[in-house]
Amino acid sequence: MTLWFLRGLRRGVVTTWYPARPDSSAASLPTPPVFRADVLDRATADRLVEVCPSRALRRESDTLIFDLGACTACGRCQDAAPEAATPSGEFELAATSRAHLVKRIPLLREARS
Amino acid sequence: MTASNPSIRGQRDGASAQAAESGSGTDAEQKAADQLRQRIASQFRRSLHIRTLDTGSCAACEQEIRLLAAPHYDLHRLGLFFTPAPRHADLLMVTGPAIRAFDVAARKTYEAMPGPKIVVATGACALGGVYPSDAFMHGSVSEILPVDVWIPGCPPSPLALLQGLLVAVDRLAEKVADLTFAADGPTVEVPE
Repeated sequence: MTLWFLRGLRRGVVTTWYPARPDSSAASLPTPPVFRADVLDRATADRLVEVCPSRALRRESDTLIFDLGACTACGRCQDAAPEAATPSGEFELAATSRAHLVKRIPLLREARS
Repeated sequence: MTASNPSIRGQRDGASAQAAESGSGTDAEQKAADQLRQRIASQFRRSLHIRTLDTGSCAACEQEIRLLAAPHYDLHRLGLFFTPAPRHADLLMVTGPAIRAFDVAARKTYEAMPGPKIVVATGACALGGVYPSDAFMHGSVSEILPVDVWIPGCPPSPLALLQGLLVAVDRLAEKVADLTFAADGPTVEVPE
């Protein structure tokens, strides 16, 4: 609390300007992954489905189905396949329909060597 | 839901029942539903009272919700307020996987709110992401309440909650519907 007070005295205002201006702390938030469609093949996708602890990922033949609503941004898929999954940096994820949160990511048809 | 207490759900259920009967013309009904939602949201643009409801969450979501009132986020500047009484609330913020033991309390809270009212499901549990439906819990808040806005995250950060609340009152546009979460090349952020 004292730190906040001193920071307030130094900078004038401690309150964020969000949503009028972007907030500087947004960059350090854990965010859901974005998947590389040009790298993901079935084997990699299955590996990601395997490591996902909250069943946010599942594979339907050549499509990886990513349920953002179930994603806890734990980062396990990013550790398992850093070339295929990277943080999206996207935190403004509120949806007016549950279906908007389910994303379909096309997979490569042939396995990558 | 009593007849003297019209709610978003009653109006929405009516619209969907009509859509089911006619079998077509859903575009017009969708448009009417959107207009109705905008009209309701416009009533809440400058002043909105929020009641939180914990249906068995781990309290991480509550910690983030609590931070909304802290100096950095200061949700009062946006005309948003927390209220302890559901009878004073316009918006119900529900966390947790909707445990069955909480059914009666959840229904009573929802029914005590004056209409029109908004329900916001908050966090991965409430969205049905973490727990399956079983003997102890429904697994998703949408099983017991008519959810209007979904805020993902485990827990959602205060900024995400703020965005969700502003989406609920139509002050910010929904962003996630247009995102694909698939990239064809390297993304900007590459973790080192």
